[in-house]
Amino acid sequence: MALRKGQKVEVFRRSGDESWEPYMDKFIGRHGIITDPDTSINDPESLVEVSLDGMGTHRLPQDCLRVLDA
Amino acid sequence: MTLTQCPVDQTLTLLCDAMEANRLQHPRSRRLAGQLITMIEDVASGRAGAAHLPTVQRLADELAAFQADAAGMALGAEVRLALAANQEVFASHIETQNCAAGACDRLAPSPCQMACPAGIDIPTYVALIAEGRDAEAIETIRRDNPFPWVCGLVCTRPCEFMCVRGRIDQPVSIKTLKAFAAERALSLGHYVNPAQAPPKNRKVCVIGAGPGGMSAAYYLALNGYTVRVIEALPMAGGMMMVGIPRYRLPREVIDREVAMIEALGVEFRFNTCLGKDVGFAQLRAEGFEAFFLAIGAHASFKLNIPGENDYPQVIQAIDFLKRVALGDRHLPGQQVIIIGGGNVAIDAARTCLRLGCASVTMAYRRTLSEMPADVEEIEQAEEEGVQFAFLTVPVAVEGRDGHVTGLRCLKARMVAQAGSKRMAPVPIEGSEFVIRADAVISAIGQRIEKQTLAELKDLSWTRRDTIQVHTATMATDLPGVFAAGDAVTGPATVVEAIGGGKRAAAAIDRYLNGLPQPGMPPVPVRHHRAAWTEVPATTKMALKRQPMPLLNMDRRRTTFQQVELGLSENMVREEARRCLRCDICRRCGRCVEVCRDKMKVDALRLGYLDFDAPGPTDFRWTQEHCIACGACAANCPNDAMQTEDRKGERIIHLCGTVLSRQPLRYCDGCGEAIGTDRYIEFVRRRTHRIAPVLDGRIYCDQCARRKAVLDAHDVHSVD
Ligand SMILES: Cc1cc2nc3c(=O)[nH]c(=O)nc-3n(C[C@H](O)[C@H](O)[C@H](O)COP(=O)(O)OP(=O)(O)OC[C@H]3O[C@@H](n4cnc5c(N)ncnc54)[C@H](O)[C@@H]3O)c2cc1C
Ligand code: SF4
Ligand code: SF4
Repeated sequence: MALRKGQKVEVFRRSGDESWEPYMDKFIGRHGIITDPDTSINDPESLVEVSLDGMGTHRLPQDCLRVLDA
Repeated sequence: MTLTQCPVDQTLTLLCDAMEANRLQHPRSRRLAGQLITMIEDVASGRAGAAHLPTVQRLADELAAFQADAAGMALGAEVRLALAANQEVFASHIETQNCAAGACDRLAPSPCQMACPAGIDIPTYVALIAEGRDAEAIETIRRDNPFPWVCGLVCTRPCEFMCVRGRIDQPVSIKTLKAFAAERALSLGHYVNPAQAPPKNRKVCVIGAGPGGMSAAYYLALNGYTVRVIEALPMAGGMMMVGIPRYRLPREVIDREVAMIEALGVEFRFNTCLGKDVGFAQLRAEGFEAFFLAIGAHASFKLNIPGENDYPQVIQAIDFLKRVALGDRHLPGQQVIIIGGGNVAIDAARTCLRLGCASVTMAYRRTLSEMPADVEEIEQAEEEGVQFAFLTVPVAVEGRDGHVTGLRCLKARMVAQAGSKRMAPVPIEGSEFVIRADAVISAIGQRIEKQTLAELKDLSWTRRDTIQVHTATMATDLPGVFAAGDAVTGPATVVEAIGGGKRAAAAIDRYLNGLPQPGMPPVPVRHHRAAWTEVPATTKMALKRQPMPLLNMDRRRTTFQQVELGLSENMVREEARRCLRCDICRRCGRCVEVCRDKMKVDALRLGYLDFDAPGPTDFRWTQEHCIACGACAANCPNDAMQTEDRKGERIIHLCGTVLSRQPLRYCDGCGEAIGTDRYIEFVRRRTHRIAPVLDGRIYCDQCARRKAVLDAHDVHSVD
């Protein structure tokens, strides 16, 4: 997705990726900020670091994220 | 226990107080109380599961029945009582992850602390630094992160992206403050390890002396475990030592913080590669009961283009940086091309310049705005003379007589992909060109060296070829085997590895004690509510983020001296005073609503309270408009907004930021404070009753009534 640091995103759905764990369901609908995108090759497959408002910082698959301010 | 308080929070406080006051003398009762704290912290932070409550009950029963320690027995009995009386409250914390009383404030740390992957209590340490209490700040940081100095220099600072001050102007320099405090505390000899638990005589083996491995080792050693760290390289640090170049992170910084971990008795075995020099079977035979894998991601992805494997001058950035870090200062070539646009590529490019390469060009397939490297890093590289070739797709390495002569590339353009907004670089046919070069360094990503762990046949791997773990505990599918850091996340960050190591250490402790594991990652713990620093509103607004002084350009191009010189003491103290103390004010907005909607005054311009749509903020606005009625403070659920009468003034402050300071008027009858002129005027306009001015004097409501009665009967005056 070529996400960039500082972009506002929303976890808008559950990911089908194997890295999605049940507790992450609580993140759906939460807004946050990309704090560390894939820093080498903008691989759409890689996990990106997102800091979610009130929920902490997590590595999430990109298919569950939607950019809010693009 | 009153109904307005939370029994879970109170039980936790009871246990913590007993531990802190050293009331429990016997090691066994201390252990039981420690385990109770761990379990109840889970309950209070919403991460407990079905097994927690029975375990708490069992531990409390055991403590209450342990006759060798009378204080322990009494404490155990109190915990049992609390459990019996509040069974349903404990259960609802677990089932609903909600504290009805709102007292379990461990559930609501500040946004910066929530964002920190290691969960550092940021507002507390920032407040301590503002007061010049650097050693205490370091003590606070090291509860959650044993590398404050390293992180103060190289952390990717997710906390600053979430920093609420950033909604007003720019975030607090959370990272840099840490570096200053660590350096100062070390230089004064005030950087010390916390007290260690008595030895448990149980052995844990850590594989890899990077930040992940060493953090786990630190917390395990503090907890009394015997820890051995096995490291393939001749020194500790992992990618902090052999990846991150010295001009960003001097070796002494790593060495000093590693020495603190070694001082806890952690044994390091260098030049020892798991899977080659030693195996799991041998380690198990030596008595190690749990393993923590933190082997990082040290292999590189290939470019897969012709010529890549034909010339010794085509090298991997990771290998190149490692060689330089280990002391080899030979130039890779005179004209070097770096392929990639991330932080590793930038580090390789800037290292080449410092070694003396005549020209360094970064070839990146997208544009500047898509470069994944940090903006500051890109800027610094550009200033130093690194050149950039954007929209450039390498197609072959060219060479002659065993030497590289150039990189054949195609120009690309960004094209929107079908059905999505995502732009991708598409090579332009016939646009081939060659960039002259005598060395090519590839920096297109790292992967994990799986063969190292071949002995663990049943270890699960993800489709990304990273170790599969449950991220709440960092446990792999193999009993007693835990993993974290880059080996789990793929190439990530120092602070994520630290957070993972700390989490794994806690999970290993539970595993070895047969305690249930949590179902979700920990919520960061607030260590205490540090006092705030009083700052006038004008100063709070005027203090801007302090710019980082940099080394002069000649030195930056020729030496590996640290580029960022750090902030001066004055700058640090001022920067720390910019913090808004979001651990206390939780941005509920009640004060603003009361002032605007109920009082119709609208004296609070706090647009930063909203995460999604922050509006304008001006703390100075309040001084102009506030009537000092105190309704905001009376309605603040967190005691963040306060009103205080001091030396003839009524002061309204928000976490120490003085929003309004107005002279108080006193009753000419009884001498009681009535309010400020604006308040009296406000009330008079609405009621014409309270505090009227009679004969040019001012009276409180009661005295005014008495005076009116006395005047009517013309008896005598109040004074
Ligand atoms: C060039 C570069 C720059 C970076 N810059 C930053 C930055 O500015 N900020 C930031 O936060 N992060 C940065 N990172 C990322 C950061 O360094 C890593 O995310 C972090 O070090 C990962 O920690 P770790 O403990 O998982 O692994 P590592 O730090 O990689 O440590 C793993 C250790 O395990 C050892 N090991 C591996 N296999 C074995 C074996 N079989 N037996 C024994 N030992 C073994 C390795 O030798 C190594 O010492 C950078 C990375 C690179 C490469
Ligand atoms: S202003 Fe202070 S407490 Fe608030 S997020 Fe920033 S550093 Fe943390
Ligand atoms: S000062 Fe109090 S009432 Fe106002 S936003 Fe902060 S916590 Fe809420």
